[in-house]
Amino acid sequence: MDLSLLADPAILSELVFQGLVRGAMYALMGIGLSLIFGILGVVNFAHGEFFMLGTYAMYFVSALLGLPFLAGVAAAAIGLFVVGVVVERALIEPLRQRAGRDWLLDSFVLTIGLMVILQNLALLGFGSRRRGITTMVEGSVVFGNVTITYERLAILALAVIIVGLLAAYIKFTDTGKAIRATAQDPEAAQTLGIDIKRIYTVAFGIGAALAGAAGALLISIFPAFPTVGYQPVLKSFAVVILGGLGNIPGAIAGGFLLGIVEAYAIFFMSAGWQSVITPLIIILVLVFRPQGLFTAQGERP
Amino acid sequence: MSLKVEGVVSGYTREVPILKGVDLIARDGLVTVIIGPNGAGKSTLLRTIYGYLHPSRGDVFHDGKSIKGLAPEHMLGEGIAYLLQGHSVFPRMSVEENLELGGWIFKRDRARLRRAFDEVYARFPRLKEHRRLNAGALSGGEQRMLEIARLTMTGPKTLLLDEPSVGLMPKLVDFVYEEIAKLKQDEFTIVVVDQNVKKSIEIADYVYVLNLGENSHHGPQHEFALRLEDIIREWL
Amino acid sequence: MSVATSAASARGIVASTPARVLKVAVLLGLLILVPPFLDSPYLTTVFISALMFGLFGAIYDLMIGYAGLTNFGYAGFIAAGAYGSALASFHYGISPWLGLLIGGTCGALMGLFTGLITLRLRGLYLGLTTWFVAEAVRFTIANTPEYTRGVLGLAVDPFPSVLGIDFGRAKLLNYYYLLIVLGALIMLAMHFLVRSKVGLAFRAIREDQLATESLGLNATKYKLINFTVACFLTGVLGSFYAHYLGILSPTPEEFGVPRTVEILTVCYVGGRGTLWGSLFAGFLLVGFQEYFRELEAWRLVMYGALLIAVMLFAPKGLAGLKKYVW
Repeated sequence: MDLSLLADPAILSELVFQGLVRGAMYALMGIGLSLIFGILGVVNFAHGEFFMLGTYAMYFVSALLGLPFLAGVAAAAIGLFVVGVVVERALIEPLRQRAGRDWLLDSFVLTIGLMVILQNLALLGFGSRRRGITTMVEGSVVFGNVTITYERLAILALAVIIVGLLAAYIKFTDTGKAIRATAQDPEAAQTLGIDIKRIYTVAFGIGAALAGAAGALLISIFPAFPTVGYQPVLKSFAVVILGGLGNIPGAIAGGFLLGIVEAYAIFFMSAGWQSVITPLIIILVLVFRPQGLFTAQGERP
Repeated sequence: MSLKVEGVVSGYTREVPILKGVDLIARDGLVTVIIGPNGAGKSTLLRTIYGYLHPSRGDVFHDGKSIKGLAPEHMLGEGIAYLLQGHSVFPRMSVEENLELGGWIFKRDRARLRRAFDEVYARFPRLKEHRRLNAGALSGGEQRMLEIARLTMTGPKTLLLDEPSVGLMPKLVDFVYEEIAKLKQDEFTIVVVDQNVKKSIEIADYVYVLNLGENSHHGPQHEFALRLEDIIREWL
Repeated sequence: MSVATSAASARGIVASTPARVLKVAVLLGLLILVPPFLDSPYLTTVFISALMFGLFGAIYDLMIGYAGLTNFGYAGFIAAGAYGSALASFHYGISPWLGLLIGGTCGALMGLFTGLITLRLRGLYLGLTTWFVAEAVRFTIANTPEYTRGVLGLAVDPFPSVLGIDFGRAKLLNYYYLLIVLGALIMLAMHFLVRSKVGLAFRAIREDQLATESLGLNATKYKLINFTVACFLTGVLGSFYAHYLGILSPTPEEFGVPRTVEILTVCYVGGRGTLWGSLFAGFLLVGFQEYFRELEAWRLVMYGALLIAVMLFAPKGLAGLKKYVW
């Protein structure tokens, strides 16, 4: 590991940007996962499939219909919101009526079934061919030795905007406040007339939309194919554990942290070994600080 | 007329009913207190009235209208508010946001919300002072104050109070009951369930005793004030 | 089910032992006699596959159905056994027969390690940790091709002959009977484990860990026992798998999430907390999948749909429907 390479600003900035871009994706996925867990108590294993459907949405809107980047992201977000709403109403709500104590495990297994179905329907419907778009946005800007592509800037900017919009929605709109209330005390929310079933549906939809947006944004790195969701879901769970389950700011911090660590790992180690790094880090976190790096000490799982 | 419970049978599972045919009338503007030993079903009765549990037999009426089977989130619209047992503030939201959520069902009516805020802040200046603080940072008594204030934001007719003084220090228990007395003056119809028999009977107009899921005695407050020790001895 | 009723039902089962022994004998008879009767190598491989999935499902049930332990990296523990035994014979010439024990030990060590680091946490975290541990193991195997041959594939020796029985690649029936013997040992071991006092502890913990601990039981110790034993048995079976299959590769379909999901489905469809239910489910699912061979991708869709259907409509799986049939 030749650390002196980091002294080169071109390499350093490249790594930082790579890390930030990956981090943005992880953050979006992690927020969605944490949201779904925090409000519905569901560990959504099909989250990677929402990502996958987002990549296909971007591909079809952009490559086939020729619409710009932004349109693809919007299509993915809206489309996946609808998918999320349907899934919550059709599968999760019925399970909630039936399940009792074992909700966490039962819903987890249900989402595993959903993952298998979505993945294989995609395989049947779209085939296993990878459909990628190498560059969404052309051009780059140069500062001295450092080159930053517009694409990367666009991805980061859009990710920040999406997170910002979400934060504003949650903080300032009525439904957003109802969502926060439901997350903190669902029974109390009910006594104030809030229909928590509707809140669950909206929250799940938002979580799915975020994953879809992540897939759309990162089409140039993750092309569309049926099993593309696996690495992202593995990483999102890692992010959520780093940040603490249900802790949304933690998910953002965890996402960027993981992104940057991975960028460095890819650079200094062979591509194969960097895929061992993430599980190892998570195992260490689970052993020594299971509540996550960014959660207060007291909250032990 | 207000609240009427008729022959209600309900429980958490079909096979094990906790309430085995309970009757209750809570008249307009009066404080009706429900007392009884542990496990008598007092809280279960409130939860059944509020729709958390569905009675397998019997009915519940509010102002003549049957509310059996309605979901909890529809109760406030019917004019019935519920103070949950234990803490129920939203800890990571501000006092103001908590109150705002109290007015959730008419959130569109900004004028009405403004008026509700003015009333609450006039009555509870301390809450106005702390309005930007997160509710979780308030003291136990202040949180209870917030919960009571939030309860009244929509101007409900009937209040169900589930163990309002449990877990609080004696000084706060007095404070809570002072507030309940004020609510009584404001002509709310109030149903109180409390382990603290002494305190609750003090402000009661009418008392129901529940035991093992059934009505035991009931009557106006003055009949109970003196016989209290005898009644409690029956439970032991 | 409270601890008392678990004990009562255990006594009830013992009381009807003659009937059960008869049923088991009939099924065992079918199991033993049908493949040679059919005399088709293809069908024999199907039977081997069905029995193996059923056994993996039963061991999975030992963890989730009896102690409430979620193992989402299950396939990684199979890999530990498979690769442990394969590498022992490949690099050090150790006999595959001993390899069964080596595979079991590798599985047990991996289980012990994983258990020690997570059993004090909630079930969900155990599931996530097993997943990460298994992926770490799988990626490590893939990244050390000098030792494991990685994705190129590791050739594994068949079992050497013993007692005059030849275990060459063509002798499928012999592998099948070997599997029946191994399977019977595994099932009996688990059967007696869950009927023992230790098993009672498992079920008490699954029902209500807090209450059980307040009775003075060290829940962590028993969970660790359950998990380690289950991983040992998994490793033994994984070792059989390696020597039977003849080639190992650390792909996700073999030792990753898809494989874990298949086994999880077998267990859930069979009915958690029954052990034997998984055997039935193994035959049902593998049989179904072979019958609808042409609809390859649909088969996995069906697995997913079946899992969802079980969760929503038949949480007790096949075992719940047993009373209508048996």
